[in-house]
Amino acid sequence: MDSVLSIKDLKVVFSGFQALKGVTLDVGDREIVTIIGPNGAGKSTLLDAIVGKSPVAAGHVYYHGREITNRSPHEIARMGLGRKFQNPNVYNGLTIFENILLALKGEHGIFSSLTSKLTRAKKDKIAWVLDRIGLLDKAYMKVSSLSHGQKQWVEIGMVIAQDPSIILLDEPTAGMTSDETHLTGEIIKIISQDHSVVVIEHDMEFVKQIAQRIIVLHQGEKLAEGTVSEVQNNPKVIEVYLGRERIDVAA
Amino acid sequence: MTQVLEGNPQQSKLPLKLIITGGIVFVLFLILPFFLGRFQTALMSKLLLFGVLGISLDLVWGFTGILSFAHGVFFTLGGYAMAYYLKLNLSTDRNTYGVELPDFMVWNGLTELPWFVAPLKSLPIALIAMIVVPSLFAYIIGWFIFRSKVSGVYITIITLAISSALTTFFVSQQAYTGGTNGITDIATLEIFGLELTDINLYIVILCFATAVLIGSYQLTRSNLGLILRSINENEQRISFLGYDVASFKIFIWTLSAAIAGVAGGLFVPLNKFISPVYLAVAFGTQVVIWVAIGGRGTLVGPVVAAILLGQVQNYAERVTQDWQLVVGVLLLVVVLFIPDGLMGLIPKRFSLSSIPKAMATSSSSSGHIQARLLDWLTPSKAWVSRLGNRIGRGKGRDRSR
Repeated sequence: MDSVLSIKDLKVVFSGFQALKGVTLDVGDREIVTIIGPNGAGKSTLLDAIVGKSPVAAGHVYYHGREITNRSPHEIARMGLGRKFQNPNVYNGLTIFENILLALKGEHGIFSSLTSKLTRAKKDKIAWVLDRIGLLDKAYMKVSSLSHGQKQWVEIGMVIAQDPSIILLDEPTAGMTSDETHLTGEIIKIISQDHSVVVIEHDMEFVKQIAQRIIVLHQGEKLAEGTVSEVQNNPKVIEVYLGRERIDVAA
Repeated sequence: MTQVLEGNPQQSKLPLKLIITGGIVFVLFLILPFFLGRFQTALMSKLLLFGVLGISLDLVWGFTGILSFAHGVFFTLGGYAMAYYLKLNLSTDRNTYGVELPDFMVWNGLTELPWFVAPLKSLPIALIAMIVVPSLFAYIIGWFIFRSKVSGVYITIITLAISSALTTFFVSQQAYTGGTNGITDIATLEIFGLELTDINLYIVILCFATAVLIGSYQLTRSNLGLILRSINENEQRISFLGYDVASFKIFIWTLSAAIAGVAGGLFVPLNKFISPVYLAVAFGTQVVIWVAIGGRGTLVGPVVAAILLGQVQNYAERVTQDWQLVVGVLLLVVVLFIPDGLMGLIPKRFSLSSIPKAMATSSSSSGHIQARLLDWLTPSKAWVSRLGNRIGRGKGRDRSR
């Protein structure tokens, strides 16, 4: 498999505590990989380490075969990795349009941003993104006036606008109603037609809706990997989850 | 589907209202000195320069969120460059000792011009130094501060330290800087044989202030302005969109220092001297006050505030020695009751463009100004914000910071 993102034996240590104890993982082209696991399993830490937010203690991250371990966040972002954070991390003081405009690929330098013009192509691209997240009619509204779920979509829109080849989503449905969650799942399926997607999620209904391949993390290690049913019937996974969280393992 | 995105309020053309109003105000200022006496013309020139200094701070504080008390330093560095030029071009018969060497160097035992002062005898070099010295100084500090990821209040503390350290340094190097007195007794600025005094100087300063205002306005309307505002709101997020936050901060910081430096350079022929008074924290704080009272992120606000406060001080001084008390009370009133600053008082329907409105009067930024300012100016922030809530201005005060 020709992998877009390849992680080899990744270790992250926070003042003596091993948050990740050697995780290996590959993400293929236009594949949806879902990462699940109990709280503290190291899911968000894994994404942080990939995008350069948390320092990697040992191991390697390769993106299209190029090593990106411990590069700075803006360099990694420019290469084509987009990240959505757990809480909607959007600019409340700006309009939806401006949020997406900021995220558009290219023109990240000082002088290009000074001379940059809002071209027809850019407007069309923004309209295209807003259409995908269903917020086209609210383009010039301040983000602060949106609902929590809509803010999550704005951030997904920002990630799409970066036009990354891989999109990392940290709990994209947190705080959403079940209708919103379902819609988000459909958005992600559309996105995966053009991009590879890594999703961290708790909601098993949602995982079933989108998942192709699931990876279970537990205490900083990879516990299991496979399809929905393979993971659900894995005795180790059942043991870890038993009595911990609501996960419909039996289904 | 794209029709929805036609009327983009962000980067549309300059509103006609704004151009007309701006033009009228400019003409009014242009004919003003013909009705004012020499004293008022000089005072207005000075206040315009203070306004420009306010604009330069507004770019880094109002837009990018970096509170600096060191803008007086950049202003003064530009001022010293000009002061050396005017001092070195003072005719020998006006020199106390009747020699070429500046008087303060003579009585401090120097026998020849130091190598770093000598080139400033030429006007082009002095003009270049007026811009390059403050901006290079700012670039070097900026590089260390912003690359090392120092943030928030710690940057402000560093600017305080820089201001104090430079004051002490300039006072101690009496032979080279003129010490506490600074550089006094200087020549009149002449450009192409034209003496820049009174009205001439006023017109030059007015044009400079207008250019800075227009340039800054255009800059904040560009994508760069959007990025600066985003850095202000959440700098980590924008780095994950592929922007190198530090380089943007260093750029605006250096640009702002260059503007402050030129303002300082023009201040010297007007003021007739420069001294470490303008390096000190007290002057840096005044700049912060102009921006806070005028309205953060409004550009015009600091100019309005500098002129108003300057005139209040002018008249209050005649009535009472304690004019600072008057200014202090004014500041308290603004901080407590008009958190958006004076520009926030203008009703939205009279607002000339949508951009400053979006930045200046959004609930988040108003809370921000007040919180930031109160952090510095009163210890009992909680009490004040309770009071603010009671009088119904407590909208959106707490931000996730």
